[in-house]
Amino acid sequence: MEGRVPACGWGSAAGGGDASPIRSNRRAGVIVEFLLYGIINSITLSLLSLGFTLVYSISRLPNFAHGALYITSGYIVWLLLNRLGLPYPIAVVIGILATGFIGALIYRFILIRIRGMEISEIIATYAIGLAIIEGLRWGGLRGMTFTLPPFFPGSVILAGVSVDYQRLSIVAIGALTFLGLYLFTHFNKLGLALRGIAQDERAAMMLGIDSDMTAVVSLAIGSGLAAFAAILLLPLGNIVVEAGYSVLIYAIAVCIIGGLGSWGGAIVGAFIIGFAQILTEAFLSSHFQMVVALLAIIVTLLLKPSGLFGKQKELEERV
Amino acid sequence: MRKGSLLGLSLVLVFLVACLQPAAAAEKPIIIGAPLSTAFLYGWDAERGIKLAVEEINAAGGVAVGGKKRPFAVELIDTRDLEPQVPVSEALLAVEKLILEKKADFLIGGPVRSEAALAAMDLLNKYKKVSIITTGVLTPAYTKKVEDNYAKYKYCFRNTSHVGVMIGEFTVLFDDLKKTQGFNQAYIMVQDVAHARGGGEAMKKTLTERGWTVGDMKIYPTGTTDYSVGLIDAAKKNAQVLFLWMDMPESAILLKQWSDMKSKALPMGFVNAAEQPTFWKASGGTTEYLLVNLVNGGNAPSKITPWTMKFANAYQKKWGIEPEGYGTSSSYMAVYQLKAAIEKANSVDSDAVVKGLEDIDLMGVYGRMRFDKKSHEIIPSLDPKEGAVTSIIQWQAGKRVQVFPPKVADGKIVYPPWAK
Amino acid sequence: MRRKERIDRGIKVRTEGIYAISSMREILYLLGPRLLLIVGLILLPFILQLAPYWARVVNIMCVYALVALSFDFLANYVGLVCLGGGFFVGVGGYLSAIFNTYLGIPFYLSIPLATVFGAFLCTLLFLPCLPLRGVYFAIVTLMYPLLLTRIIEAFDILGGTNGISGVDSFPNQYVEHYAIIVVLLLVLFGLRRFVNQDIGLVLRGVKDNDQSVRASGINVTHMKALAVFISAGIGCFGGAYLVHLYMWAGISLFALDFSIIPIAAVVIGGGGTLVGAVVGTFILVPLSEALRNLGTFRIVIYCVALTAFIVLKSEGIMVYLQRKYHQFERWVKV
Repeated sequence: MEGRVPACGWGSAAGGGDASPIRSNRRAGVIVEFLLYGIINSITLSLLSLGFTLVYSISRLPNFAHGALYITSGYIVWLLLNRLGLPYPIAVVIGILATGFIGALIYRFILIRIRGMEISEIIATYAIGLAIIEGLRWGGLRGMTFTLPPFFPGSVILAGVSVDYQRLSIVAIGALTFLGLYLFTHFNKLGLALRGIAQDERAAMMLGIDSDMTAVVSLAIGSGLAAFAAILLLPLGNIVVEAGYSVLIYAIAVCIIGGLGSWGGAIVGAFIIGFAQILTEAFLSSHFQMVVALLAIIVTLLLKPSGLFGKQKELEERV
Repeated sequence: MRKGSLLGLSLVLVFLVACLQPAAAAEKPIIIGAPLSTAFLYGWDAERGIKLAVEEINAAGGVAVGGKKRPFAVELIDTRDLEPQVPVSEALLAVEKLILEKKADFLIGGPVRSEAALAAMDLLNKYKKVSIITTGVLTPAYTKKVEDNYAKYKYCFRNTSHVGVMIGEFTVLFDDLKKTQGFNQAYIMVQDVAHARGGGEAMKKTLTERGWTVGDMKIYPTGTTDYSVGLIDAAKKNAQVLFLWMDMPESAILLKQWSDMKSKALPMGFVNAAEQPTFWKASGGTTEYLLVNLVNGGNAPSKITPWTMKFANAYQKKWGIEPEGYGTSSSYMAVYQLKAAIEKANSVDSDAVVKGLEDIDLMGVYGRMRFDKKSHEIIPSLDPKEGAVTSIIQWQAGKRVQVFPPKVADGKIVYPPWAK
Repeated sequence: MRRKERIDRGIKVRTEGIYAISSMREILYLLGPRLLLIVGLILLPFILQLAPYWARVVNIMCVYALVALSFDFLANYVGLVCLGGGFFVGVGGYLSAIFNTYLGIPFYLSIPLATVFGAFLCTLLFLPCLPLRGVYFAIVTLMYPLLLTRIIEAFDILGGTNGISGVDSFPNQYVEHYAIIVVLLLVLFGLRRFVNQDIGLVLRGVKDNDQSVRASGINVTHMKALAVFISAGIGCFGGAYLVHLYMWAGISLFALDFSIIPIAAVVIGGGGTLVGAVVGTFILVPLSEALRNLGTFRIVIYCVALTAFIVLKSEGIMVYLQRKYHQFERWVKV
């Protein structure tokens, strides 16, 4: 049983007798493939972590129920589609709104009482997440036959690399989402208020911005974003509760590397992990993917705990 | 008037209770403990298999032992061992609960995860309880441990199969493909767990020996959500067969990507996600053409023995669904094997039943069922008259069609139109 | 206007000083709760002869209690919130399994060796992240067990995903029970003594104001390392014991349950009291066992209970009970 596959780069083993033009052609294909799937992977990761980082940046709440909300929204949409027979777009909208509402409820009734006690926040949100995940499993979300249909079936060949429309749409919609969020927080009153809270809570409160209200809004938007990501990404596979755990880990990984609370950082972090994973699979071996992601978190925390773009003061996190 | 109706009601109730009580219930039941991870396919299908068999046996009067007819009773317990992040000690505690508190006489089913089952072997020896593993555990190490230390582990049996046997079956299938289709390029993708990795390594070695070119073997960590790099690589290396070994839900993503990319390689292997009869619909048909090893015959309707369809119909009638996947027919048969062994030994004493199980030879749902006397592994064969046969099915137009072994095949392998 | 006033009971004030031994009643007041715990724990295996399965649960319960103690000590006396209790359990467990199966060391030596070496190893691995605080330390410690799991898996070392089997078990049931019960009591009372020594005060200083500790010329990182060593040792013992109890070691020793259940126990029992961690475990684990028939729903129940405690009764059961034991309340006019 022992013995691993040796590291195997592209084109190293196969096609030894190729003529050189084909070879260079293949090399170009390799680069396109690497870029394309690197970008897809990175956008996927940043979508997964966007809700988490938004909540943390605005209200300093580590929302460890993020993964559970992700799965919940997928299951809600599935129920609406298959039990009530609603049309897909309506189910999606209801799914996102419902998940956002759940997020708001979690803050309004639970987190508001323990605001500011970081460890209690972590434990409470994690417990809520676990309760949701295991509750769903108990309630019938088991097995592997829960799936959402893709919006755009089929695939296309780009520069010799086959890619399906769903993944391409993820890239497009993901990029639009980032743009939309940027515009929202820079040119909209509510968005500016959220950003104000994120920068200096006390000053913002003095200016009449309600801290609890913004926290409710941030949790609602953050959960809505988790739902949004779920609806984009779940059609690629199936809805299983276990994904709740891994989504949380990926979200944390991305945010730690980019810097907790920094949106730009989260996107950069996602690109670092995203490309690192694709590189690992290509040049090392696919089963080191998770090791690379976890090592990245630990190394970042040790060298620069505030992450690449973290806004936390150095004093707050180390002696 | 009121008094009369009350009397009538209680009479009806007494009558109902009397009717529901099976005739054999007068005797003390023999308790079968079923440690299963019930939130997963390999847990609940085993549960349904066991309950169906117990119901049939009790309806027929029960087990003849010591001059009496004793019924079976099932004590189910959730081991949670397939859930990630749950320690194996949890499953072991569940096994102990069955033995110590629920007073289980015999164990059928799990623990479902290999490492939990291996760890439970020492407990079985400690409490001297006979156990028939019927689902989840595919590691050859299980029965090898019995062979290496018979005195200690003789209470452990397994009536399904293991990676070694499955590789042998796949090899025959690969030889067949080479002969009839002229295929000789393969590509392997497995999950990063012991049995899958073992399966992949063994397959790679065997295929290389038999004149196949194996493009590469990719090992994916549990939870991988993107397989494009591997699939593109496989296409580049002109793979004609894509050999898979995964039991994680994310393998559904792999199948979708395979279908979206119109990959030319014929996918086959051990794919847990694609076993359930409802999967075709759930996956939007992307699982079409996939060949799946269901480990034991009868896990999908087929005509291996006369009993196979009888079982499939009974299962459909009781649970409203076809037999679902690995662990269904074996769990069902384990109860019958236990019954036969108890009757042969004419005792419920563990050591006597071990002897009984070693000696029984019955024609079951998936062929002739005998345990190897040294390793306590069921004796496999490609011929149902000789031993337990496997079931490799192909998804054809939304149905699971048995295509291997050839002796009991219901249809031929179909190739995707774009693979030409 | 009236308000509630809380006043120490007379007997509490008397027993704090030299008068503690002035009468039987005072001695009993002082020793009662402690004796109840000690004698109760020691008798437990005998009582549970009637229910052999529950006797097994006691062993697991004590392991969780040890891990909970190690969490409580580190979180509430040193200010390091370690979400990786499973890491200590796993390291201790694997070391003991290695000592026992690969090197053939008998269990009575392999467990202590695994405890000491494991504590040393954990401290060494945690050393780089000791300067971190709060949520950062919590997250990095949450990642450690996951990383080690993935490494063992990816490199297929130490038995890979199949684990190491064939570890020696304990010679008999009594050794099995008392090995853990005695250690649990020793650790509980030892820690209580320890945190009230000078060094314990310094550790609490590290938690409350590390700058002032540093200003006093004490190396903060040394103190933290010492605390992690103690805490890791406790967790490693739990892991080593568990491995011998079930004759098996594997990656599930790093499981999240070993990190989460002890934390829940501390929250429910009352953080910072040490004995609260034990009491919390003794409530939570049997409860979880009793609810086993409900399948995964029991996780929901204890998660809801945990959230409710954090939100509504964050002091925990033990603090509440201690207050009732030592004080009484009355209404006074304002």
